[in-house]
Amino acid sequence: MIAAQNSTSSFYQNSLDQMTRLRNSAERLQTQVATGEKLARGSDDPVASSRLRALAREDRMAAIDETNANAASTGLQSASTALEDMTDLLIRARELAVQAGSDTTGPDGREAIATEIDELRASLLGLANMQDASGRPLFGGQSAAPAFVEGAGGVISYVGSATTDTVEIGLGVSVERGVTGPNVVNFSNDGAATDAFAFLASFAADIRGAAADPAAAARDALSGFDASIDTASRTQTVLGARLAWIDTVQFGAIARDETRAEEQSELGDTDLAEAITQLQQTLTVLEASQASFARLTNLSLFDSI
Amino acid sequence: MSMSLINIGQSGATAARSALEVTAQNIANSQTEGYVRRRLGQTELAGAGAVGEFSGATFNGVRTGGIYRPDVPLLNAEARRSAGSLSQADAELSALSSAETTLEQSGLYGALVEFEASFAQLQSDPLNPSLRANALAEGESLANTFQLASSGLKQGGDFVRLDAQNSVNEVNRLAGELASVNVAFTRSEAGTASHAVLLDQRDKLLGDLSEQVGVTADISPSGVANVRLGDASGPMLVNGTSAAALSSTTNGDGTLSFDLDGSAVTLSSGKLAGQASALTAQAGLLSDLDAVAASTIGALNTAQSSGSAADGSAGQPFFSGSGAGDITVSLTDGSGIATAPSGAPAGSLDTSNLAALRNALANGGPASQADSMLFELSSTVRSRSVTRDALATIAQSAQSSLAGATGVDLDQEAANLIRFQQSFQASGRIIQVANDIFDTILGIR
Repeated sequence: MIAAQNSTSSFYQNSLDQMTRLRNSAERLQTQVATGEKLARGSDDPVASSRLRALAREDRMAAIDETNANAASTGLQSASTALEDMTDLLIRARELAVQAGSDTTGPDGREAIATEIDELRASLLGLANMQDASGRPLFGGQSAAPAFVEGAGGVISYVGSATTDTVEIGLGVSVERGVTGPNVVNFSNDGAATDAFAFLASFAADIRGAAADPAAAARDALSGFDASIDTASRTQTVLGARLAWIDTVQFGAIARDETRAEEQSELGDTDLAEAITQLQQTLTVLEASQASFARLTNLSLFDSI
Repeated sequence: MSMSLINIGQSGATAARSALEVTAQNIANSQTEGYVRRRLGQTELAGAGAVGEFSGATFNGVRTGGIYRPDVPLLNAEARRSAGSLSQADAELSALSSAETTLEQSGLYGALVEFEASFAQLQSDPLNPSLRANALAEGESLANTFQLASSGLKQGGDFVRLDAQNSVNEVNRLAGELASVNVAFTRSEAGTASHAVLLDQRDKLLGDLSEQVGVTADISPSGVANVRLGDASGPMLVNGTSAAALSSTTNGDGTLSFDLDGSAVTLSSGKLAGQASALTAQAGLLSDLDAVAASTIGALNTAQSSGSAADGSAGQPFFSGSGAGDITVSLTDGSGIATAPSGAPAGSLDTSNLAALRNALANGGPASQADSMLFELSSTVRSRSVTRDALATIAQSAQSSLAGATGVDLDQEAANLIRFQQSFQASGRIIQVANDIFDTILGIR
């Protein structure tokens, strides 16, 4: 008898609860569609949220890696250009040496050649001390000061550090940002270690008359010039290889960026087709409940009394 | 004989009118909270008083009995228990959700990532003053974020404690009222309308009480409710006509402990229990946050101390403070960031100590600590909200069965109106018949 009763207030309460639930779920779907984001807060899906945080961090770091790789690439390209100029300069010096080695060139001619060699040596110093866009020496290693300085008696010596610094360009891959001065100018002349500056200085002195037979000395020096050109072009090859390596890594980074964006979208973006279908379904059920609620509340025995 | 017929008719009319009054009362109170529908008890009156041929059949009509009110102790207890569990889950969930919002909105994880990114950027040009200034600024915004998150959590705790104090006051008020209702029971008689009102009041007070704190009620036959905190072995909150006083104390870490008349109690369900456990969770979060801040401070300062600044001097601490509440940047200039290893000359481009600074933040460092803290919190909120939804369904169905068993059904009352009206009219007809009979006898000549 008691259980058969259906209290009026409990009917209203139940109907209200049911319609509130439907409204809430419709509102949640509407927010998803409007914002395009499936997750409004972490507790909507803790695992996906944590993954999204990690992905956002990777995104940020990848962007920095890209900036760093671009900066390293620019630096290496400047170094490569400077090296090319240095090679050209050494080739010009070798041509002069051939000219100085000719018996037809007289002392006056050799003096003129020696003067040009001095100028070439000064230009070489300028190139070796070139700076990149941010004002750091291209061939100074980890030192911020000029790589080569001219000391007493015109002796040019390397004052940079012995190693170059590396920069990370993604996924723990690092690349050396430049080459040190000795890699560019030091070479071995007939088994004796020397550098381009000292070699040019002694060559100029030789053809000015320090050697007993300047023409023969100039001819002998040709193998030294060849060795110095070799060193410079070898170093340039190394730089080219590093530039290619940066490109490879960046290419991989683009592929990873795409994968990451795909995963982010899968985890956090609203599937519009699904959300809109669900929203439509919820709204249909809500309208039906409201209509039947209105019909039921019209059913009252008091109307018949 | 016809006198007896008039009496029967009159008693029937009286009974029908009383029943109509009860029906009207039910309709009037159909939306009153805590109102339980009433019925009028009726008993037949028959006796062996008269001397005559029909002494075995002496009818005296109907007697209106007491006011009958459906009593459903089991449904009541179940509704109270489920409502208590629901309000416990609600209180805990709302405090945890607000903590989650505080931590997510503070952007702690993002600030840690930006800080790390500013170091990564510095690697491409370690002596660049604007990149150094940027790293310092990111450090400052990280410190601000820590402080914001910490003060947000503390503020959330203050709100919960304020709310809990209100709940404690509410429990004491309800317990006091229940004790006075218990006093009133001793002066009222079962079956009267005023007794039914007292029963309604008692059940409503018990319902309100169990939303605040889990209680077990022991109802005596006279209607007096003795209330214990927790289960049947808990301490007495309301013992007959006296109520004990509940009070709360805030501990050093912001959690609450409760005592009843001076002796410590643990609350099992209800809003207060939810608030207490939310505060415990909040204290845990605060100490987690402090741990993340402390590890940031420690790792950064250790890395700084093993390097040298742009001018070649030894690296000075980056942060000062000991936790999320007091972390501040102590470096005053970006040039103080120790990117070069210890002993490097001024203006060194060597970035090996910068790598150490970055490593201090990456790989299992503060960022992943913050991530796992957020993950744990949002998982807890998630599982609590699933529990809450389940409890809400249970509580709703318990409430609905209770309302079904005790509430007013307007259709039934409408039917009763017609039924009792007809019964009243029929009784009136009986009186008229008695009158006709009397007239007939008088008319004999």
